[in-house]
Amino acid sequence: MVAQGIAEIFYYLGFVTVSTFGLIIILFLIVSPRDPKPTPEKRAAFESGQIAVGRGRTRFIIQYYPYLLLFVVYDVVAMFLFAWALNLRSLGFSGTLPVIVFMVVLLIPLAYALHLSNRPENW
Amino acid sequence: MTMAIVTSPLFFKIVFFPGLTSLAIIAALITWLDRKITARVQLRIGPQYVSPVGGILQAFADLIKLVFKELMIPAKADKFFFVAAPLIGMILAGGLIGLIPFSPEFQIANLEVGLPVFLAFVTLSPTMVLLAGWSANSKYPFIGGLRSLFQQTAYEIPLWLSAIGVVMMAGSFDLLKIVQAQSSGWFILPQALGALIFLITITAEMERIPFDLPEAEPEVIMGWQAEYSGFLFMAAQGASFIKLYAFSALFATIYLGGFLGPGPLPALFWTMLKTLVIIVVIILLRGTFGRVRIDQLLRYGWTVLLGLAIVNIAITYIIIQGIPAI
Repeated sequence: MVAQGIAEIFYYLGFVTVSTFGLIIILFLIVSPRDPKPTPEKRAAFESGQIAVGRGRTRFIIQYYPYLLLFVVYDVVAMFLFAWALNLRSLGFSGTLPVIVFMVVLLIPLAYALHLSNRPENW
Repeated sequence: MTMAIVTSPLFFKIVFFPGLTSLAIIAALITWLDRKITARVQLRIGPQYVSPVGGILQAFADLIKLVFKELMIPAKADKFFFVAAPLIGMILAGGLIGLIPFSPEFQIANLEVGLPVFLAFVTLSPTMVLLAGWSANSKYPFIGGLRSLFQQTAYEIPLWLSAIGVVMMAGSFDLLKIVQAQSSGWFILPQALGALIFLITITAEMERIPFDLPEAEPEVIMGWQAEYSGFLFMAAQGASFIKLYAFSALFATIYLGGFLGPGPLPALFWTMLKTLVIIVVIILLRGTFGRVRIDQLLRYGWTVLLGLAIVNIAITYIIIQGIPAI
């Protein structure tokens, strides 16, 4: 039953992919003008009009990394809840109780983690 | 054999409506609508010269102009990913339309897991933004790409959790069945909180004001799009407008009853009308709000939006099952 519509979406995505890349390749080869001798200034990175200094991929500070760590853990929770929500009516309260316990177990550490992440000195 | 393929309804749906041809035209018209409404909010006139009716062909004129511009790729850029990332982003955005039931007949793929597949496609697009920003090998695009990644952590979980309310009400992932489950009443009434969170999170996902941090013009100078020129810039911009169309259609489908509507008017009319209303609402947000800061968005997304999304699930459970007797 899950296989319903899978062929159609792949036909559609295939068609969109082929036509997008085909169009861009045709545009690039035929329509778009070319500069025969681009100067080094022209080929340099734009960087909003200033002359680029140093490497483009410089060292950077990952701010807000506590949120990224939280995201890795809690993004999965949504999938578990999707499975529960689909069968909500047939599960009854006995099937919902484990979900409530699961959520409470997850939300207490989440609250503590957010308490820590929201402090600017931890960024 | 070839004739049989060309005359089949699936071919019509993929190539013309709701597929590729109508998608390109509607995205161009949304570009015009965006400029026109924003101009009117700011007491300007907006595009007016390109056609007799309010400059409606302005977007097509811009398309032609961008196609004939020279494509400049920075010498230090990673050329393959620099070209491929906005194109893949556009393909992912276009793929969303294939899942929307515009009417029972006009749906390209009626997947049984339509809603999660739609959201899974959505999840991939910030990765393409990061790839585009990294491959440009320039500082502003890189900062924009990283901001897109941070922004995703803020809205992603509330987006999925607010969609769970709809699944609980309908008991199905199938977008067509979700619409049919609304024949007794649109889900926006019992799901008012969920719909509000959904609207906020899809605005953040589309990188539109007030959440357009990855491409904020005054701070990071178009962010990850800074190095793009010509039709690659067109692809990067087009993906955002295709996403606006797809998300508005999804909102109309799961909260506003989709193609259901009174009277002798066709089902397609109702879907397009509701989609247009949501598009106008999201464009009006751009005219009325200022941009939030990235730390404000992260804190707000992780505390208020996530908390309200969980509250929404609890409310939905009580609406469906009654208060559990413990």
